[in-house]
Amino acid sequence: MAAVDIPLIGGHEADSHGDPHANYLKAKRGIGSWMLTVDHKRIGLMYLTMVSLAFLVGGIFALLMRIELFTRGKTIVDAETYNRFFTLHGAVMVFLFIIPSVPAALGNFFLPIMIGAKDVAFPKLNLLSFYIYLVGVAIILTSIILGSVDTGWTFYTPYSVQTANSVISMTAGVFVLGFSSILTGLNFLVTVHTMRAPGITWTRLPLFVWGMYATALIQVLATPVLAITLLLLITERFLGIGIFDPKLGGDPVLFQHFFWFYSHPAVYIMIVPGMAINSELIATFSRRAIFGAFAVAMSSIGLAILGFLVWGHHLFVAGMSEFATMLFSALTFLVAIPSGVKIFNWTATIYKGSIVWASPMLYAMAFIFLFTIGGLTGLFLGTLSVDVHLTDTYFVVAHFHYVMMGGTVIAFLGGLLYWWPKMTGKMHDEKKAKIGFVLVFIGFNTVFIPQFIMGSRGMPRRYYDYLPQFEPFHKASTIGSWILAAGLFLTAYTLLEALWKGKTAPRNPWGSAGYEWATDTPPCVANFHTTPTIKRGPYDYHLATPEELATGWDEVESAHGTKPGASSSAKKA
Amino acid sequence: MNEPATFQLPEQMSTVASEVDWLYYFIYWLSVVLFVAIVGAMVYWAIKYRERPGHKAEPTGHNVPLELAWTVAPLFILAFLFHKGFEGYMDMSVAPANAMEIHVNAKQWGWEFVYPNGGSDNELHVPVHQPVKLIMSSTDVIHSLFVPALRIKRDIVPGVYTSQWFEATHIGSDDIACAEYCGGRSKDANGDELPFAQMTGHWSMHSMLHVVSEEDFKKYLIGIGDKCAAYTLKNQACPDSIVVGEGQKLYSKKACVGCHTVTGAKLVGPSWKGIWGKEESTDHGPVKVDEAYIRESILDPQAKVVSGFPPAMPPFRGQITDQEIDEIVAYIKSLKD
Repeated sequence: MAAVDIPLIGGHEADSHGDPHANYLKAKRGIGSWMLTVDHKRIGLMYLTMVSLAFLVGGIFALLMRIELFTRGKTIVDAETYNRFFTLHGAVMVFLFIIPSVPAALGNFFLPIMIGAKDVAFPKLNLLSFYIYLVGVAIILTSIILGSVDTGWTFYTPYSVQTANSVISMTAGVFVLGFSSILTGLNFLVTVHTMRAPGITWTRLPLFVWGMYATALIQVLATPVLAITLLLLITERFLGIGIFDPKLGGDPVLFQHFFWFYSHPAVYIMIVPGMAINSELIATFSRRAIFGAFAVAMSSIGLAILGFLVWGHHLFVAGMSEFATMLFSALTFLVAIPSGVKIFNWTATIYKGSIVWASPMLYAMAFIFLFTIGGLTGLFLGTLSVDVHLTDTYFVVAHFHYVMMGGTVIAFLGGLLYWWPKMTGKMHDEKKAKIGFVLVFIGFNTVFIPQFIMGSRGMPRRYYDYLPQFEPFHKASTIGSWILAAGLFLTAYTLLEALWKGKTAPRNPWGSAGYEWATDTPPCVANFHTTPTIKRGPYDYHLATPEELATGWDEVESAHGTKPGASSSAKKA
Repeated sequence: MNEPATFQLPEQMSTVASEVDWLYYFIYWLSVVLFVAIVGAMVYWAIKYRERPGHKAEPTGHNVPLELAWTVAPLFILAFLFHKGFEGYMDMSVAPANAMEIHVNAKQWGWEFVYPNGGSDNELHVPVHQPVKLIMSSTDVIHSLFVPALRIKRDIVPGVYTSQWFEATHIGSDDIACAEYCGGRSKDANGDELPFAQMTGHWSMHSMLHVVSEEDFKKYLIGIGDKCAAYTLKNQACPDSIVVGEGQKLYSKKACVGCHTVTGAKLVGPSWKGIWGKEESTDHGPVKVDEAYIRESILDPQAKVVSGFPPAMPPFRGQITDQEIDEIVAYIKSLKD
């Protein structure tokens, strides 16, 4: 990319943050240099460590739950423990893993680089939001140790007000986490508005950044409602004010309105970042711009707005008026339009591209496969008369796992493999990554396809035990969970192995035209040695020069006299 | 109209089921077509245009008509689905004027169905081809009455009445389940784990729907009616054996069985065996278990809680008649030794 010499101004002064031209991983050493860093890349890596641990913990709860359901009756734990397992699985996965996963880890790392900035707008606020996240995690861990919660991650009243377990500390933890989410969102909004490098106009903004921007809008506008809701819940439990508890004159359905007014937009906090990663992967590995990129960017904003108007579809059988039910059903169907636009445009991008079957691209295609199932099964649930039969069954469980895990988690894994060389400077073993992918893909479908079928046959969710006719489906689902776990562990191993055994990665190992690949691998402290001036869009392969698209594998090879660890296809631009 | 179960959906036993299932399978096949088209195109192109020497990606162009088409065309399908779904939902929501009303009391963790003659049961019996409106209330937390074969489901919210209706189309039986998570208990008052058969909770709120002929339903109603009612009408005293029997029926119908044993074993509440006439220590001092204490404990359970037990019982005020309390007292008396 054409770069003119604009001297670095402000930001990372050499004295406090190390040499701005040095590798960000090596500029300063010691625990203190990480704990007190304001470098968005280091904060991103620390978030990545935390959300990965949270994913591990949430995943262990999921595996334990599936083992309990392997046979009828008691398999390994009693009913009260099982109820805690599914509550903790949901709460840990939603609040500790999936909401912060892409924005706080990958977004933090790449959003500033992708707009040619030296850091986010408020680096210290960024570090603060990480510590607030840690405090939230600590409170939630304490509540798990102190007796745990068995209300489901939705904390529905009046059960959550009456149950004897530590609902207060759990909700207080979620309340604190909300602030972390808001601060990250605010930081991203200001960064995107004020810190774009010369030449990065709104139309040249990478789709990942557009997705982060849309997500940040939702985080800033929706999260306060969650805080209000949880505060009301805490007030009710401590002071006995009748807000939600009918015994005190409250309305339990009001809690559901409050809760989903946040938690439905939160679904888009989870999925929009996944879509944002997917756009990057499809463009890079098709070697061409995303078809209708502007429509894809606008569909993220469209989802962010529509996400605020559909919370009522969680309450179709909960006791809403027929009029409200009708309205929410109609609005819910509109979500299909921006979702469909993305799927169609990604598929059209592959047409007449030059498709590299690298591991991140496998995840990108799996995203289209799985998210299409997740989206289409949403049609069943938006259709009122069909939803009455399906809601609160395993059909819903399978549906949202196809969206959340088949969408966001799959994109997160694809994004990790894609950006791992840029973040760490090391290339992973593509063969292991692809075997891991196959296991994840087969395992995931084996877990959740049986859940669709048992759900439509009438198996309600959150059940400790089930009728004999559902046993084969539960068995298949549990076996799938072991395949899925094997794939995830192999993928984690592949990434970690790269750190000590991986080949040194060149500047642009995948031959991408994206802005983030123009800088060093790993990036220098200031991201770019000179502020870049951008002369083309991030996906303009036909405008990019051969040096910009060069992978640099030849230099790695000649420098080390070894063959690179990447697939042969990644060597060519 | 009464189709047996398909691979994806259970047997159809109500007037709305065929309409719901038609729409379900319509969306299913629509989804199959779209899924195969999208994923098929993706895989085909990803192979056809795979990277290889001599092949170069074509720069992405614009095709505004195509983009507009796939933004606008789905709106027609969506509008159709919305319309059909709402139509079906309204059919499920508006009960016919001649519907028979059956009251449903949901509690952790059991069902009680109260019929027009005042009789009650923990399973639901209805006559075939007769619209039935369920008027539902909960004593504790939110539950949801779900009958897969009828394709109906509705939350039961404490503090308000909710309702749903159906008309069964043929004679048979099916499962009734609770579909809104309502907790569970697997430990006794000492915190020791109970055997699986004694664990109760959300999943164990299972009951049965029995669709019977009109004749059989009439017989059933007489059977569940209060046997003492006939004596009361004639101003005669009801024989003790019948009163105790009615009390025993109430023990399971009112879900007392979930927390109190009659064998002496300790669950969440004290066992009824041998409790009659005993001196119990409570949080308000010692109390003799007599008619007055039992009555108070049923209507206002938190008034005096026996030591060593949690104040977990829901109040039954407004949900139990004086005659039913007498019958339960008689049953407890009969468990004296």
